[in-house]
Amino acid sequence: MTRAALTLTSFALFVVSFSTGGNVAAGSLPESSAPGVAPVVVEICEEGLQNMDAWPAQAPAAMETFPVPAFGLNQLPHKYVDDGLRGDRPSPSLVRMSATVSFPPGRHRLLVRARSAARLTVDGKAVVETPFAPKNGGDGSQADTERLVRLDLGPGFRVAPGGEYERTGEFETAGGLLKVGFEVFAGGREGKAPRRVELGETVVAVSWQGDPAWHLLNPAAKPLPYTDAGWEAYQSMVGRQMDVRNAETRSRRREAMQAYWNQRRAGAAAWMAGTPEVPVPVLPDGFSAAAPVDAFIAARFMTVKSQNRPSPGATVDFFRDVRPVLESRCLDCHRGDKAKGGLQLDNLEAALRGGDSGAGFIAGQPDKSELIRRITSHDEDEVMPPKGGRLSGTETATLTRWVQEGAAWPELPMVRSAFTPPADDLTFLRRVYLDTIGLPPATAEVRAFLADPSPDKRVRLIDRLLADPRWADHWMPMWQDLLAENPNILNPTLNNTGPFRWWLHEALLDDLPVDRMVTQLVQQRGSERSGGPAGFRPASQNDAPFAAKGTIISAAFLGLEMKCARCHDSPSGSAKQEQLFQLGALLANQPIDVPATSSVDPAKLTAGGRKALIEVTLNPGSKVSPQWPFPELADPALAPGLAMDPDDSRDRLAALLTAPQNERFAQVVANRIWQRLMGRGLVHPVDDWEKGRPTHPELLQWLGRELVRNGYQTKPLARLILTSAAWQRATDPVLREPDPLYAAPELRRLSAEQVVDSSFAATGKPMKLEPVCLDRNGRRNLANSTDLGVPRRAWMLASLSNERDRPSLTLPRLQAVTDVMEALGWRGARQDPQSIRDTAPNALQPAILANGTMSGWLTRLSEDHALTALVQQNQPVETLVEKLYLRLLTRYPNAGERDRYVAWLRDGYHQRVLADPAPLTDPPRAPMVVTWTNHLQPEATTVKQAEAAAARRGDPPSPKLDPAWRQRCEDVIWALLNSPEMLYRP
Amino acid sequence: MKNLHHRRGFLKLSLASAALPGSALLANALPPPKLGKAEHCIFIWLGGGMAQVDTFDPKRLGDAKSKPPRSGSYYPSIDTAVPGVRVTEHLTRTARLMDRVTAVRTVHHRVIDEHAFATNLVHTGRMISGNVVYPSIGSIVAHQRGPANPDVPAYLLIGYPNVSRGPGFLGAKSGFVYLLDTESGPAGFTRPEDVGAERTARRLALLEPLQDRFPEGSTPADYRAAQTEALRLAGPDFMRHFKLAEEPGRLRQRYGGEFGQRCLLSRRLVQAGVRFIEVSHNLNFVNGTGWDTHNDGQLQQHVLIRELDTALSALIEDLENHRLLDKTLIVVGTEFGRPASFDGGGGRGHQGTAFSLVLAGGGLNHCGAWGVTDDEGKIPVEHPVSLPDFHATIHATLGIHPHADLLDGSRPVPITDGGTPIARLFS
Repeated sequence: MTRAALTLTSFALFVVSFSTGGNVAAGSLPESSAPGVAPVVVEICEEGLQNMDAWPAQAPAAMETFPVPAFGLNQLPHKYVDDGLRGDRPSPSLVRMSATVSFPPGRHRLLVRARSAARLTVDGKAVVETPFAPKNGGDGSQADTERLVRLDLGPGFRVAPGGEYERTGEFETAGGLLKVGFEVFAGGREGKAPRRVELGETVVAVSWQGDPAWHLLNPAAKPLPYTDAGWEAYQSMVGRQMDVRNAETRSRRREAMQAYWNQRRAGAAAWMAGTPEVPVPVLPDGFSAAAPVDAFIAARFMTVKSQNRPSPGATVDFFRDVRPVLESRCLDCHRGDKAKGGLQLDNLEAALRGGDSGAGFIAGQPDKSELIRRITSHDEDEVMPPKGGRLSGTETATLTRWVQEGAAWPELPMVRSAFTPPADDLTFLRRVYLDTIGLPPATAEVRAFLADPSPDKRVRLIDRLLADPRWADHWMPMWQDLLAENPNILNPTLNNTGPFRWWLHEALLDDLPVDRMVTQLVQQRGSERSGGPAGFRPASQNDAPFAAKGTIISAAFLGLEMKCARCHDSPSGSAKQEQLFQLGALLANQPIDVPATSSVDPAKLTAGGRKALIEVTLNPGSKVSPQWPFPELADPALAPGLAMDPDDSRDRLAALLTAPQNERFAQVVANRIWQRLMGRGLVHPVDDWEKGRPTHPELLQWLGRELVRNGYQTKPLARLILTSAAWQRATDPVLREPDPLYAAPELRRLSAEQVVDSSFAATGKPMKLEPVCLDRNGRRNLANSTDLGVPRRAWMLASLSNERDRPSLTLPRLQAVTDVMEALGWRGARQDPQSIRDTAPNALQPAILANGTMSGWLTRLSEDHALTALVQQNQPVETLVEKLYLRLLTRYPNAGERDRYVAWLRDGYHQRVLADPAPLTDPPRAPMVVTWTNHLQPEATTVKQAEAAAARRGDPPSPKLDPAWRQRCEDVIWALLNSPEMLYRP
Repeated sequence: MKNLHHRRGFLKLSLASAALPGSALLANALPPPKLGKAEHCIFIWLGGGMAQVDTFDPKRLGDAKSKPPRSGSYYPSIDTAVPGVRVTEHLTRTARLMDRVTAVRTVHHRVIDEHAFATNLVHTGRMISGNVVYPSIGSIVAHQRGPANPDVPAYLLIGYPNVSRGPGFLGAKSGFVYLLDTESGPAGFTRPEDVGAERTARRLALLEPLQDRFPEGSTPADYRAAQTEALRLAGPDFMRHFKLAEEPGRLRQRYGGEFGQRCLLSRRLVQAGVRFIEVSHNLNFVNGTGWDTHNDGQLQQHVLIRELDTALSALIEDLENHRLLDKTLIVVGTEFGRPASFDGGGGRGHQGTAFSLVLAGGGLNHCGAWGVTDDEGKIPVEHPVSLPDFHATIHATLGIHPHADLLDGSRPVPITDGGTPIARLFS
């Protein structure tokens, strides 16, 4: 068989196998080159490239080498620096690829795609070159036709997504083994500023004489079709290899710091040994425990139960009637150590003790109670509350009657009188998948679990899910919110940070101990713009950036809400403005200024009326030096012995934050993980410990110590919770708030990310989105544009940043998903940190889920939709209904549901698969790629408008299904997707 | 709709809490301002930065082509209905209505490097802080006043969603419902083309048993109520407001192209009871750059100005004909202005030291123009108006106390950053 014939045959085979869907073809690709054939060797060169727009006179030395199967590459391995952090490669870097390739005799065509300058030589002869990208970044009006009008060389040809130069050349040979060399510039400069070091779709493809099809040039005899499907399979295979390589490099880099961390672990172990353990309580009678946390919960439950026996004749209930009044009208000032007038109204003991004006109240004697006197006073200087209007008549009467009736004040409300039973297997399954990897289980996993008779199957599943890499995807949103990760894909100015999401994700993938992760965060090293923790540092256009970072760190890791202290001392908490700026200075590693814009004009504080509630004790213009502001949490004398570099204030801060002696740190982290899994923190709210006291103080302390004992790794801590009876209990559907005694879980709204990811995963519709990027050809400088890649999970989305309001700068497919996410409480722009999202229902949520573009994609039975294949299987309609329920809702339909759905789908069921479907025609391709450099061209607007219309329309339905029956089935999918079960954790 | 679950009110599920007058944290330093009685606001957004010297604050005629270029307006100015107040010649129709209009010529801020940053500032009235995500003016108005008719949303946006237009710390319930253009209908409430009334009914019949699983009083039951509400909004009662075909052909012509049609739709939405409508003029293919008239974007700027003139004047007249002008405040907003001087390509750069934002209707005592800038239109020389003052003016017109507090959690945040309404307009 001749080479050309072989190629054609295999090409046809590839087409067939891809068109049946799935990843069949990916499996047939070589994971590395065929045995005995040397692969393409890739070398990355970083030095000797001073001249930005000319080839270096001498070949620069390779810094890094790795193999790939063919001349095709769209990503470089990450560069890791320091403690395994993402770093920056110099821009430009040079990528050199070489291999010996067997050429048949003939005159062959070669195609080169590259972002900037590239040159291809075969047998020492120059064959194709691409030019250096222009030095300017473009103002948006460039026609830039060469790289943005897409090359199309006929049927089956892969029209690239755009942004690369595309050049072809011819090469004639008598055949034989020839050396192929291919060099490309990655990155470059816009003026003097570096561009992103990216490859785009860097490819050498070949069309052998006599064969119009294009293949990736490669040294093995195996043909690799350069078609859309062929490229997809190739690049995802190379991507998997790259992930492995990146993980190995990270781990190697971290070894350099291992000695320091071993010492820290030893120190923590010594501290644990030298401090008393928290005893696990004896389980009260009538309770069963699956894990130690259950004993703490049961013991507390019994204590509170004994306090909640109503006294005879009482009409006022403290939690129902009194606390809401105190909370809305009194506690802002009368709470915690800094309560006004020394009167704390947040717990019984302190309220009875009272403040400057004596006891808060005397039980049974409203006439002698200061509280009642002040709320009923007619003296303008005495009446409480001082602002916002008097208490209503009802409120006053409630408080008076409550004091009259003896002021019963139990520590916690009894929401339920007994624990719910354990959740059944299906509920457990759905819950455990959603809480660990953020997705529902696949049908096969459900069936296997149900069939498994072993008593420890739940624990084994928990362990498997804890080891699943998708764990990292699910826990990303918490950290992004908490640390206010806020990249902007265009001209960052809105308090934007770098995209430090990539560092976070790798830390979670590797289950990096949280003390080490926080140390890396505080040190702010690695790449600022390409995904290292240095990306935490920027706060674009912020007048006091390090003070802003201080509020993030203090709330995230110490449970200290210091936002107020940005401009003045906190009116209710203990935070002083100076403390926040001291913390900021520690993060800056130098003294920082207090700008006038981060203060309050004294004139506003003194003019007229009663005394202002806030105080300013730090003058604008002051310089504040780095100093640990929380000696009560950790003794600053610990820092020199613990810090990596005691002379660096960031290292001192990291040490004091994460030292085991700072018990607050481990407890705050444990409390956050507890809250995510149990619905409510043991301290509530989780980010402001001055507002709430622990409901279970011993358990909190115990969990903190367990985190330390487990080397600050969060997965073992999560395991302690997931394996407990408390976490595995059946829900109480009418609980509207999480029960502080954990007698039953409430039905908890899933996060926006869980809803979106679950909907795609359960239907099996591929998430096909644009890259989160407005600079598709990499022409702008690194500081002004980011490429966040094509999202694979919902956490990878970001604000689409079309403040310019230009149709040509829209990303319509991404918009379809962010519309859903924003409605469900996700924030594309995270200008400030957030611990708890808004989950209240509003009409926009069901609207966008019912009618939005994303729902259209998920519902439509298109060719690439996984349910399209499922519904064609030869099975009774009852089985199909059951499968759909299992896939989407992780349960079987009840009788009523089954009847209704079966009746609905039975009509036309046997004729649903068409014998002779008309083939689909390819959708028209946009004539050009819109990117920053050309977005002001008039065509850019029309191209984008067409893209938006196409996104809204969605993929065409599969021609293999009878249209009437297909619509019925789509209605079924729509109903399942719009079920409240898709939004609430069971 | 006859439905037992029918809960009237988009906001029923998201009750706006009326802010208390006067900031709780600060002393009562500012005297309470006079409040107006307007019920609605149409906020027209000219993205890119409208050149005030080429529109509402004309200066001597400049010349972009002379060497060196002579700074000044690009077009001659004309008289208006208000003696002594002039605008450029492409605003002929609006000129005749300037007694219903006040061009506030002395608005100023310092943010001119980046459109997004200034857009955020003009929408929120504040600099970003990293402590708070400030709500847009539309969200504040929605939060404070709710919709005028409980059956419709309070805040509609005709343009692209972004954080500057968003609800910030007020949360999703104070957010907008958006539509990208007058053809496509509001996102989420417009059913896909292949889903008609019959198919919707089929779908709901399939959804019903899934909803029934959750007992009354549960959170998913609240969600079910929201589903019912969403369904009602996607139905004919709400969607008919978007049917511009119901308007007389001559009126539609009078409003002009797509931007004009958006303004006409805004009038319909005002009639429907929507409180705040932001209308974006984002048709940048007209001259390439939209209002961001650098370089040769200047050449076709007059097309944009005429489009604005046509639509704005039509809106004023149409509202007046419907006796809605005194109840409806029209605002023309933009992120900054542009200097009287020309750039190397014959266009204009950015300027924040002085620029014009325009108010019309709303029951204000209009005076054509307020504030005076120097000969270059660069520095306020009389009655400077800060952005907080401008915001305070809008709020006061709508009966909202500009010093009242909003709550970010438990932290009070005053509605404006110490802004004072322009007293002249309330006299």
